[in-house]
Amino acid sequence: MTGGGLTALLAVFCALPFLVALYRLDILIFMLINVILAVSYRFLTLAGEFSLGHVVMMGVGAYGSALATKEAGLSVWLAAPLAAAFTGLLALLLAFPLFRMKGFYFLIGSFAAGEAIRLSWNRFRDPFGGPGGIVFIPSPEIPLPVLGMVDIAADPIAYYFFTLAIVVITIVVFYRLERSRFGLTLHAIHWQDVLAESVGVHIWWYKTFALVLASAFAGLAGGLLGHYLGTVNPTQFNLHIMLFVLVWVIVGGTRTIAGPIIGVVVLTVVDQGLRSLDEWRPLFYGAILILTVMFLPHGLESLPRRAREWWEWARHRRQPPVSDDEEPPESDRPPPQDA
Amino acid sequence: MDTVVQTLVNALMQSSFVALMAVGLVLIFGVMRVINFAHGEFYMAGAYVVFWLYAQHELPFFAAVVAAMIIVGIIGLIIEQLLFKPMRENPLGGLIMSIGVLFILQVLAAVIFGVGLMKHIPPLYPGATPLFGMDGVSVPWQRLVAFGIAVVLLIGFWLFLKRTRLGWALRACAQDREAAALQGMSINKLALLAMGLGAGMAGAAGAIMAPLVRVYPYIGGPVIVTAFIVIIVGGIGSLEGAVLAAVLYTFFHTFVATYLDGTIASILGLLLMLLVLTVRPAGLLGKGEKV
Amino acid sequence: MGKKGLTRRQFTGTAAAAAGAVAASSFGAPYVAQGAEKVVKLGFLGPLTGEVAGWALPGRNACLIWADQVNAGGGIKIGDDNYMVEIVSYDNEYLADKSLIGAKKLVLEDDVKLVLMLGGTDAPAAVQFFTKQKMLSTTLLPSDLTPDTLYHLAPAEVHPLYNVTGVEWLAENRPELKTAAICAQDDELGWPSVATYLAAFEAAGIDVVYNKYFDIATTDFAPVVTAMLAENPDIVCLDTAYPDFVNLLCEQLFLQDYKGQIISCTLDFYGRIIEKTSTEFLEGLIFQFPDFDDPAMNEPHINFENPNEFFVNYNERFPDAWSAVTWEYPAIAEMWRLAAEKAGSVEPMAVFASLKEGGRGPHVFGDADWWGEELWGIDNALVGNWPVVQIQNGKATIVEYRNIIDWWNKHGELLKKHTAEQG
Repeated sequence: MTGGGLTALLAVFCALPFLVALYRLDILIFMLINVILAVSYRFLTLAGEFSLGHVVMMGVGAYGSALATKEAGLSVWLAAPLAAAFTGLLALLLAFPLFRMKGFYFLIGSFAAGEAIRLSWNRFRDPFGGPGGIVFIPSPEIPLPVLGMVDIAADPIAYYFFTLAIVVITIVVFYRLERSRFGLTLHAIHWQDVLAESVGVHIWWYKTFALVLASAFAGLAGGLLGHYLGTVNPTQFNLHIMLFVLVWVIVGGTRTIAGPIIGVVVLTVVDQGLRSLDEWRPLFYGAILILTVMFLPHGLESLPRRAREWWEWARHRRQPPVSDDEEPPESDRPPPQDA
Repeated sequence: MDTVVQTLVNALMQSSFVALMAVGLVLIFGVMRVINFAHGEFYMAGAYVVFWLYAQHELPFFAAVVAAMIIVGIIGLIIEQLLFKPMRENPLGGLIMSIGVLFILQVLAAVIFGVGLMKHIPPLYPGATPLFGMDGVSVPWQRLVAFGIAVVLLIGFWLFLKRTRLGWALRACAQDREAAALQGMSINKLALLAMGLGAGMAGAAGAIMAPLVRVYPYIGGPVIVTAFIVIIVGGIGSLEGAVLAAVLYTFFHTFVATYLDGTIASILGLLLMLLVLTVRPAGLLGKGEKV
Repeated sequence: MGKKGLTRRQFTGTAAAAAGAVAASSFGAPYVAQGAEKVVKLGFLGPLTGEVAGWALPGRNACLIWADQVNAGGGIKIGDDNYMVEIVSYDNEYLADKSLIGAKKLVLEDDVKLVLMLGGTDAPAAVQFFTKQKMLSTTLLPSDLTPDTLYHLAPAEVHPLYNVTGVEWLAENRPELKTAAICAQDDELGWPSVATYLAAFEAAGIDVVYNKYFDIATTDFAPVVTAMLAENPDIVCLDTAYPDFVNLLCEQLFLQDYKGQIISCTLDFYGRIIEKTSTEFLEGLIFQFPDFDDPAMNEPHINFENPNEFFVNYNERFPDAWSAVTWEYPAIAEMWRLAAEKAGSVEPMAVFASLKEGGRGPHVFGDADWWGEELWGIDNALVGNWPVVQIQNGKATIVEYRNIIDWWNKHGELLKKHTAEQG
């Protein structure tokens, strides 16, 4: 996906709220928040480690911002960034034990750290409110010349564009960062961590910085969610939700930053399309996941390329399409080229 | 004193099925490198087979347990053949497959058997016996049966792995897949075997616990979490480690749950696991993951 | 062009699969009214999948039966018109964000006239939206009520207030019981219920010697029971736990040889618990939910048509599915129907006014007051009599109806204190 592609995507996102019924805007708002979550999640996986604690980090931001506004009386505009920074700080602390682990150990280790935090919200009613969580979280307000203080969470269109602005910032930050020296080093760590270490790369610092930054953005997404909904509780950040983030990112594709965005958008549409199935819905959702991974092992983002291959094959009927098995495995893939 | 002994009994009974879950998961991960999130749903399926055959169709309990092992084992084989095998070089794909399977199995259980209250599976042996004449300590018969079956299965599994050629091949493959392939072993055949055995073990675990726990479509959740924790603490790739960790973790959890409370037990359990991993990043008996 | 074609083909495939699914699941589809009759839609917003589904899906199904029965009987009579009822459900997965999406969909797209909810953590944002839209909604958990939830009613369940009646009855009839141990599930059902039981025990002069919460992810209840029995209580109180937990806790109490009094909020499927334990073990247990074939359900103050017949029919259609929540949702729907017919309109605010008229309403267990100002800041819960039920010879038997407000007038301060302490 190129810069041009991202601009086109932005244009679509700007037009979207005017194309759907007003009452469906909430779906789009939560979708945008999930884009932040998925894009930041992909960044933290660049160095090769998959975490199961990312949704809890979102929760840390949501709880932090809710408590800072409700208990300490801070303005939302101060509280949400502070909470995001706090989330990053917490991630820094967690990096000490977690990055001693690798692979599956890291996956489950990150789950353990996250779940311990999440269960603490459940267990310690003061100040976290227990299973019911925190309710009546203040909305963000902006002073406008004529209207006075305007509650932007009360107007879905306003909140949509506010969220969209933050999504754009998120994407720009991670897009630029990935193409920087820092991002290339992260990729290098993914393919050859031993080699990278031997040429003097402090792997721990690189991984930790990726985790801290990704967590801070997840925390920001949490703030966006909490101040819009007006409520946070531990169920919103459990393993089930984390699995959905994994699904978005992997089904969308991890190769470029567009992958997780496509994943979130397409799977949100699919989920909505299946809503009328009520209790049958997860079955078809599961089947769609399986079929997607089966036929597009590199995610939805590889669809245009696969489609082109199939099209060429259909036109010439000379040679079968290049199967994914013949593509270089993920770990051997070349570094992303700048657009 | 009675309370301490009773808690020991509670923990011992509980640890057996956790161990069954964990060894299956270790085997699957070791041989196939797939993080099988659907393992808890295999457990659930095993419990439903017992409900279906034993509670609804009044087959003998032990026959139902064997049937659960076989049926869930076959489900495992099908999933391996259809879903995991094409994903052999793409572990993330396997993970998504297992999440898809998880959703599908949950819905199937819900629509076939209904959602509502837990399934009624009367214990084959109701009641309890005092432990060695200690009046304050009771050992429920059904739990004793479950414990017995689990121990027999674990020993059988251990003998199979240690004493047979196939078992040796499986262990070799779990420890080093590439080396095993170089030795001329068929990874696909071993993966089928691992999946059949692993799923069958989970099915058996669900089957023996069915009369003791809440049988409903979502029981897999807490169980898979426990199993993951256990195999990580034990060190993946290590079956002995899995069993040891299952016992340690359940004893720790049960004691803290009794003397403090259950949520604290879970929090402390998770922190303990982090601590173990910080000191020994490859688990208690693990040899470190091959990168 | 080529890649678009393929994309479309993929999507068509997906759509076809989904369409097939809809057809295959048509038995689960809501009743669709035929012809030109007028239709009124009622929304059901609750978890149809996931952990909490057991508290909502059976209720949704019961509402579908209720709708079929109403439609078979000619529908709802509003003035000269007959309205057919259609139940539209939305699976909110017990999540606040899905709940808000569902709330907007039900109100703005489906134009429902009432939304039935389970209530709890999924509710706040959705209910706020209902209030803004002047939409009538109901909950099974009065703890959802706040001064701002103007049109959110708790017309059936007044959990956990009614638990005081069981304790009061016990204190009067078995004064020799002096100590109690409480275990409770750590969630929005458990906490307010603990506060209620603590207040009720204090009012009755019973010492609470053990009071702890267990995680709702608990799979093994042996440790919970071991810890309680270590305190040698005269009474074991199971608080408000999921029916399955009550079942497993009773089994453990039996297995660990407990012989004292048990009090619980619910005891769904007690027949099965007896099967796992013994008739003698469960004898005398006090709880709060009667079987509807109880002779005391035929007393004149009961506002439920043919409770005995309903119980028999229900058990025939859904064997083994009778629980507290299954009758509560259709009971609310039925109350709504009566109020709508009385108001001559199905519009939410008209029905709301009709329901609240005179500050009293026809609660299942007898006409009751719209109450709650002192506890939740709004009089939106229908509170009055509640039965105390005891297991006698292996059968749930109503031993007395007691008035909750009478208890409150005597001991309200205690409940306020314990509610504040429990947070």
